[in-house]
Amino acid sequence: MEQGSRRRVENERAYVLHTWPYSETSLLVEIFSRGYGRLPLLAKGVRRPRSSLRGLLMAFQPLSLGWSGRGEVRTLNRCEWVGGLPLLKGDALLCGFYCNELLMRLLPREDPHEALFDHYEATLAQLQHAEDLERVLRAFERTLLKELGYGLTLDRDAETGGPIDPEAFYDYEPDRGPVPSRGEGRLRLRGRTLLAIANEDYSDPGTLQQYKQLMRLLINHRLDQQPLHSRNVYRELQQL
Amino acid sequence: MSRTNNSLDELIEALRCLPGVGPKSAQRMAYHLLQYDQAGAHRLALALDRALQRIRRCAKCNTFTEEEVCALCTSPKRDPSLLCVVETPADQAVMEQTLAYQGLYFVLMGRLSPLDGIGPKEIGLDALQRRVSDGIVKEVILATNFTNEGEATAHYIHEMLQGRGLKITRIARGVPVGGELEYVDLGTLAQAFYERREA
Repeated sequence: MEQGSRRRVENERAYVLHTWPYSETSLLVEIFSRGYGRLPLLAKGVRRPRSSLRGLLMAFQPLSLGWSGRGEVRTLNRCEWVGGLPLLKGDALLCGFYCNELLMRLLPREDPHEALFDHYEATLAQLQHAEDLERVLRAFERTLLKELGYGLTLDRDAETGGPIDPEAFYDYEPDRGPVPSRGEGRLRLRGRTLLAIANEDYSDPGTLQQYKQLMRLLINHRLDQQPLHSRNVYRELQQL
Repeated sequence: MSRTNNSLDELIEALRCLPGVGPKSAQRMAYHLLQYDQAGAHRLALALDRALQRIRRCAKCNTFTEEEVCALCTSPKRDPSLLCVVETPADQAVMEQTLAYQGLYFVLMGRLSPLDGIGPKEIGLDALQRRVSDGIVKEVILATNFTNEGEATAHYIHEMLQGRGLKITRIARGVPVGGELEYVDLGTLAQAFYERREA
């Protein structure tokens, strides 16, 4: 019995990242929880027409979940709506899907990251009202990489260990950081831009553009150059 | 288990293409058809074959039909200036049951789902774009689901069709008819509050 109670989790704050239909009436739910990280849950019977959880297991709404079980896929026992966050709309919604895909692809299962969870929650709230969605996304990407142990080096030369020269050019190497440019790197950045990103100073409009390229380089590297579906869909939608 | 019966194995494997049917159910279905209901099995095989040969997509609304254009799209009783966009034929069927709507439909046969890589091409948004450009449609009613995917779909259809002189509307959501606030689920009630309208 004692072992059984240890396997049971109650009132865990979590978000749904994605769902898949499972058998006739159930749902497989990938969640991101504060204390247990990302994990899959089986929600039995929730696709029945009168299931009270039917409309609840949706991405971007704060939930309080309870689950039990021992295997890789646990069984959802309880799900309560916590609220306080209106649903995302428009482009912000697409940004939300992008964040969820990043978590699904980069965050290993059952690896708790409370700071990342809090930042994810703050990101969803910011996306609701943000004038500049790009900035919110960059901050999320940066926190995600940092929490996964791939923090950005922006203020020192990875080759010499010396400070960044604002006037010099650097190539950004995903596994090391900025090295003096030999003109052959995939991304060439001016020292000034690196320092601006480090200080989160986006007064120069070119900075955010370069920041985006830098994050794309790093994320693609972590994804082994496998494409992100949400990024492709977003691009196709912009072409409509 | 012996693996000598090839056509039986093939039947079981074929039945597994149905949604929600795993190896166990597929086996049960196969044995049932062969043992107790050979006539039924024959009918099923014939119906499947015929459906595959005859059924195609309506040139106007994209739903399944045996004609070039489906019966609903050609009906003179419908108002051709209204076009309701739904995700699936099942959604269209319930809209019809409401008897509230007398216009025409466009069935997407899906929804945008960025995490599954389902984008505008997969749900035929270009066909919808052509459909509304007939000069007769005046109002497009977005009746996709109130899931994140359905909302995204509605949003981008709205973006796509803006600036063409069309009225674009979204079906309302909120407290159900006959709903008592005390018993309405919290998410619905919260969203009804966020989207409150002037009385």
